[in-house]
Amino acid sequence: MSNTNKRYLRRNVWELGSDWGDDILWYARGVKAMKARVLAAPTGWRFYAAIHGIYPPLWTLYGYLTPTDQPPDQGEIDRYWDQCQHGSWHFLPWHRGYLLAFEANIRAAVVAAGGPQTWALPYWNYFKPNQSALPPAFASPDWPDGQGDNPLFVPQRYGPAGDGNVFVDLSQVNLDAMTEPDFTGVGSGGSPGFGGVDTGFEHGGPVHGLLESQPHDWVHGLVGGGDPNNPLLGGLMSDPDTAGLDPIFWLHHANIDRLWEVWRRNPTSHVDPTESQWIDGPASIGERAFSMPMPDGSAWDYTPGQMSDFGTLEYDYDDLAPLAEPAEPTALRLSRLAPEAARSKAFAGVPPMPSEKNVELVGANPQAFRIVGGEARTSVALDPNMRRKVSASLAAAAETQAPDRVFLNLENVRGVADSTALRVYVSARQGANADVGEQFAGHVALFGVRKASLADGPQAGQGLTFVLEITKIIDALHLSDALDVDALDVRIVPILPVPEEAQVTIGRISIFRQGR
Amino acid sequence: MTAAARERARVRRPVLLVSAAAWTLAVSAGHGVAMTIHQPVSAPVSIGLLLAHNHPTSLAAGWALMLTAMMLPLLIAPLRHVHDRSFPQRRPKAMALFVGGYAAAWMAAGALLLPAALAIRSAGDDSALSVVLTAAVALAWQCSPYKQRCLNRGHAHPSLAAAAPAADRDVLCFGWAHGMWCIGSCWALMLVPLLMPRAHLTAMAAVSLWLAAERMERPRLPGWGWRAPAKTGRLLKAYLSSDRFRT
Repeated sequence: MSNTNKRYLRRNVWELGSDWGDDILWYARGVKAMKARVLAAPTGWRFYAAIHGIYPPLWTLYGYLTPTDQPPDQGEIDRYWDQCQHGSWHFLPWHRGYLLAFEANIRAAVVAAGGPQTWALPYWNYFKPNQSALPPAFASPDWPDGQGDNPLFVPQRYGPAGDGNVFVDLSQVNLDAMTEPDFTGVGSGGSPGFGGVDTGFEHGGPVHGLLESQPHDWVHGLVGGGDPNNPLLGGLMSDPDTAGLDPIFWLHHANIDRLWEVWRRNPTSHVDPTESQWIDGPASIGERAFSMPMPDGSAWDYTPGQMSDFGTLEYDYDDLAPLAEPAEPTALRLSRLAPEAARSKAFAGVPPMPSEKNVELVGANPQAFRIVGGEARTSVALDPNMRRKVSASLAAAAETQAPDRVFLNLENVRGVADSTALRVYVSARQGANADVGEQFAGHVALFGVRKASLADGPQAGQGLTFVLEITKIIDALHLSDALDVDALDVRIVPILPVPEEAQVTIGRISIFRQGR
Repeated sequence: MTAAARERARVRRPVLLVSAAAWTLAVSAGHGVAMTIHQPVSAPVSIGLLLAHNHPTSLAAGWALMLTAMMLPLLIAPLRHVHDRSFPQRRPKAMALFVGGYAAAWMAAGALLLPAALAIRSAGDDSALSVVLTAAVALAWQCSPYKQRCLNRGHAHPSLAAAAPAADRDVLCFGWAHGMWCIGSCWALMLVPLLMPRAHLTAMAAVSLWLAAERMERPRLPGWGWRAPAKTGRLLKAYLSSDRFRT
């Protein structure tokens, strides 16, 4: 927690003293009040969920939209709905403003019901020991007094195995993003950065930032899961167009928001973008403004720059301590790549990982393929010149102190089931050194894939592109003299079998180098 | 400037440079190429007489110049996609093939649009009427879901094979497909400058700006209705209300 005397304090939902601590009990009462409002009410529950995104067929299917609902005026729809920023460097600031406005609306309902004027939204830190399970207040259909209309409970939460046991499987999430030195990156195959790629107003961009991919997307998929009776249907949290309907959404995003501030403080070299396009937001370049309806009936327009200055915001977190292992020091990587030089040369003090942004294709698989059932395999053919370029960069690490970073891209991933989740493995082909077996490259959660696959959707049907850093794998192959190969094999293993009707396809799997 | 912005500029600058060169040539060359249909007399004339005054080679050259000037800036996003997803040593060839496929589609379209323009003009030099009628057709198309569908498809960037010959084929096909969606979106508007001999450069510029503004819009659900390029409007409004403009 910072030393400022802030008005509102967001606390860990698991550390409120009981399953129904005051903050969560008042949250439930506020949610109930918002849920009682009609669809067209800007401070209503469904209106707020539609600000994140709305897909009427799914809403109707889940009972959140009925033929008797009167929609808001078109002007309000155009101003507020379908606004969430994904696949963009606006992901974090937009959601921070979204949380602040939502929190203000809940607080207004809490105060109106006689609750504390300092009420603040709790957060769910699933990374903390014994806190990965869904907080109990959300898991029961009953209020603490046994009455059965707990507004925090939704039936469309299926969990990692699709059996209704909702928790965040810690073997599938990580905080690797916290070690990324740069807030923004590129969408051309290299690191997309901690906070995402430089875009305008982007309601569902193709390349997600590192924190957005992990843990954000994964937690959405793990909590929402897939309907065991219809694998094409995800839980509310699994799809961006229904996620805001689930009360746990807001606690998950409070945690993501907290992680942004943790990243900024640890170390202090982590800084937000300074470009005016980010600070002033999309409205400054003729695009939609970030706009939220407030409890007094006003519209609040905000910019990323306003969200960046945490010190001026009125809320704080009870825990902003570093969560992740410190970034692998560049010195450690250099020592591993050049052990001889390390004995005579001090690598300490070398800045963390190179930020060079020269991104080049190193190899790609030959054609698109489908993911059906248990697993799929393909082979990424490496261009000999580019492979030698990577090898040369690693071999010269001691001199340049800036060896390449290497990224695996899953490009143009399409499908209709957002709850689909994949594990990705990489191995060297036959003839390579047997010491280096198959290596785990990372997880991919297809949060947002349905919308990104719509031909007339925001992404014109081109799907999503996922970026996994495989620098450590390439380093290991290099050090084992196993990188001199024509191709690397990639194995993709779905967490749950993918039905054919999910239509999951991967357009191309490629490898990019990022360096000088 | 962000790394992504630098990457965008790397492709945008040369493309805009070539387009600017084409505009310069269009403004200065005038008589060398036929970027509009010249009519020898104001009365109705035969197609044969029009062809005598509008040689196909000259028409094709003029058409190519028009396309270079007007359409090249619209290709920045797909060219970036081709650039980014190709091996470094293949990037120039890949981008050239993409442009080749795109140009082939538009030159084929020219084989239909230019005779159509000749046919309209052969009815007489009542250019105002022909322009108004063409503009009405363009307006109807503009409001149709078919136009929006074409605009939407123009935002799609497919996956591309990395190694030749599949890589060559993919970028060529991408260019051709992108060209076809572009034709579907722009064909009616492109007729307008062809029918305006006295103000064809002005018409070209106006249509170019409109097309660029349209391309800046995000895909949206197709349907009947007027769709103004709102982003450009908001951008202009923001600029005009900025301190820089006031001072």
